[in-house]
Amino acid sequence: MRPHFNALLILALCLLATAAQAQNDPTPDRHGPFFLTVQIGGGQGLVAVGGGFWLADQKLEPEVLVGYVPPSVGGRAMAIFTLKTTYTPYSPSLQNGWQVSPVSIGGFVNYTTGEQFFLTNQSAGRYPKGYYWWSPAVRIGALVGARITHEVVGNNLNGLPRRTTLYGELSTNDLHLVSKFTNKSLSLPEILTLGLGLKAGGR
Amino acid sequence: MQVSGLLGMCALSSCGLLEFSPNQTLVPAAERQLTTQNLIRLTSRPKQESDTLRFVFIGDCQRFYDEAEDFVASVNQQRKIDFVIIAGDISDFGLVREMRWIHHRLRKLNVPYLTVIGNHDEVGNGRAVYESVFGPLNYSFVYGGTKFICLDTNGREYGFQGQVPDLGWLGKQLADTANTRRSIVLCHVPPTDEDFDPNLVQPYARTIRSSRQLVFHLSGHIHRFTNGQPFHDSVQYLTAYNFRKRHYNILSVWGRRKFNLETVAYAPAL
Repeated sequence: MRPHFNALLILALCLLATAAQAQNDPTPDRHGPFFLTVQIGGGQGLVAVGGGFWLADQKLEPEVLVGYVPPSVGGRAMAIFTLKTTYTPYSPSLQNGWQVSPVSIGGFVNYTTGEQFFLTNQSAGRYPKGYYWWSPAVRIGALVGARITHEVVGNNLNGLPRRTTLYGELSTNDLHLVSKFTNKSLSLPEILTLGLGLKAGGR
Repeated sequence: MQVSGLLGMCALSSCGLLEFSPNQTLVPAAERQLTTQNLIRLTSRPKQESDTLRFVFIGDCQRFYDEAEDFVASVNQQRKIDFVIIAGDISDFGLVREMRWIHHRLRKLNVPYLTVIGNHDEVGNGRAVYESVFGPLNYSFVYGGTKFICLDTNGREYGFQGQVPDLGWLGKQLADTANTRRSIVLCHVPPTDEDFDPNLVQPYARTIRSSRQLVFHLSGHIHRFTNGQPFHDSVQYLTAYNFRKRHYNILSVWGRRKFNLETVAYAPAL
């Protein structure tokens, strides 16, 4: 395995382990800062799972996702390791613990496994310098989304997470953006990708 | 249930918004195996009595979507065109969206279009994506008494291992001339280019030269039109304009090895 692959894997495992440990902590903080995520699509796997922690009054959510692309979708099985951060500035509360957040913005960087994806033109070993300027293995992207959140009111969680969020996101990546910037006829929907997910955590 | 229904609709429809990876090979059924689909369209249009076959030749549409729309408008004004051939580099990054973006424009052509894989179409997961969206990397078809042999010559993408282009396959295709009067070879990287496997240049030229009914050899990759006999063996090698040049060729072939070449300029839409 390549070093960069190892580093991402270790980071993902550490984060997941920390999140799991936090769930078992007998003396929890009222708003335990960790959450787990399950996502569909978004260019980050047929299904991606992972987790992260809340920062800045639960407005900022850095997280790690590990996505799976089966052979029926990708030709070959692939894993996608994604570092993602979402910022949700405005989450007005409704009744009974419900919140609706009309806008989230965020960014991500991910790495796709597979020997067909070289990290750089040079590491592939078959091209002259500068032959291809991008890395097929690494994508950088931006997203906007919306979400609804339910937060359990009171002390009795019955084993449930404190906060549960259902979100939808539209994202694009660097290569799709480059295509759009150089073509007037390429419409915005043509470069957008939908992702749907669920986040739960806190106690 | 509603959510899964929505997902299913999106995944199956051509909206394509729900994408699991920019490198995925999965596309809606209507956009799978386009080579086969276009050949069915082509062969369902019976060739007219005339012996002359007339087709458009261009290459390298990679990331030229504006030009692709103008190209389609121009070709649709031409008369008596049998089909269009794109000499590889459909995509720039080997991503599934790029091949679909090109198809969403070229499907508006009044005639079928056929492609051959380019080196950019092989980057990342591109080779598998091309096989899913378009089809085989090496294939041949017969239309109007003419055998078209389309093959992968992107040797650098395979690390110059001596396997690409597949000379055994090419030789067999050239030798099998049953029910045809003429042959035409189409590929992306021409054998005169440094991205062609250097150990296979001379064997390739020899194989091409072995055909007694070859009209010419067509390729793309170098983004400009050329027409010459680089191996000084009476075999005519042509290379195509890329989309950015806003020019294409119309090639007419007739008789045993006769051909005519026209150049058409197409303007940006106003």
